[in-house]
Amino acid sequence: MYKLFKFNDKVVSVTRLADSTSIPFDPANTDYQAYLRWLEAGNTPEPAEENQ
Amino acid sequence: MTLAVNIAQSGSNNVTFRNRIINGAMVIDQRNAGASFTPTSGNYGLDRYRYFVSQASKITAQQSSTVPTGFSTSLLQTVATAVTPGASDYFIFQQNIEGYNIADMQFGTASAQTFTVSFWVRSSVTGTYSIYLANASVNRTYLANYTISTANTFEYKTITIAGDQSGTWGNTNSGGIMIGWDLGSGSTYNGTANTWQAGQYYRTSSSVNWISTASATFYITGVQLEAGTTASPFEYRQYGDELMLCQRYFQIVRNGIALGNTAAITVTSSMLTPTMRASPSLSQQGVIQLTNGTTDFVQSSTSTTLASGSDNCIVYTLGNFSGLTANAAYGYRIGANTNGVTASAEF
Repeated sequence: MYKLFKFNDKVVSVTRLADSTSIPFDPANTDYQAYLRWLEAGNTPEPAEENQ
Repeated sequence: MTLAVNIAQSGSNNVTFRNRIINGAMVIDQRNAGASFTPTSGNYGLDRYRYFVSQASKITAQQSSTVPTGFSTSLLQTVATAVTPGASDYFIFQQNIEGYNIADMQFGTASAQTFTVSFWVRSSVTGTYSIYLANASVNRTYLANYTISTANTFEYKTITIAGDQSGTWGNTNSGGIMIGWDLGSGSTYNGTANTWQAGQYYRTSSSVNWISTASATFYITGVQLEAGTTASPFEYRQYGDELMLCQRYFQIVRNGIALGNTAAITVTSSMLTPTMRASPSLSQQGVIQLTNGTTDFVQSSTSTTLASGSDNCIVYTLGNFSGLTANAAYGYRIGANTNGVTASAEF
């Protein structure tokens, strides 16, 4: 499971909830590559909280 | 003179950086600082060495001072609970070499270079073992067997391999080639020795299942992968150089300027040195202590989130403080502990 993170009203990273790892949207980052595969499998991340 | 002759015979043009392996002498252990750890699948142990295990808690690992002559540290694996691998089981560890660092070997072309792997290994279980080499997509694999002849004695192994002329091989900041050691896997991962083949394999059918022997030990150090047909003497690097090579993939950040955002949260900026392979993922190793010069502030529990980042700088929140002042500046309280934000750009 993943949760989006919003900073200054923009979604800027995604957190892998299993180990609280914060992942950048960098195509060269292998955690981000794994997140994209998770999305392609039909999953949806939890939305970001609005007050961050 | 001997070194020069061996290097010349190896076919390498490099007197330095012959060894494409990082942390081949097992001296860097940023994550565990020499303590024993129980690898879970996908986790890193000593720097640059990654484990894949189909069953958790069957292996423990640790930096060790049991070494062959000329080395000070090795990587020790011990069977915590013996397993008879089922067909789909696997117990392996590997190092992924960045594409930039093997680009000159021209894998995947007709000019692919021959290379040689060498290492010192010791086990309580004698017999035939396998190493595997593969591209990043793990759809091109080469298996080579080696034999541990005498129990509990370090033995030096060298294996020369003709570079793969097929497949797709990374030559930038993506994965280039991976080298791995099988500790016991199922028949799904049995392949053919001494040839490049399509598919993902870790071992041959004649290899021992080290994982099946209770309390078995497996030490390794002096790992080297170099161009050419001959193993040259192990390339020792200065500790600081080896650490910086490791920090391109993983570093623990303990510096930066934090500004209070709320009473509980800071926005913190830290430089990454050296520049990392990619923009890193962030996590935390223990709670962080900040100071404003007169008062210390400690997180009640770990909490960090990336706000923006690149391969050489990160901006992130640190949460779970109390009593911070908005827009006030804080610094890391160095010396209070060794905790920090972990930045990982591993493969």
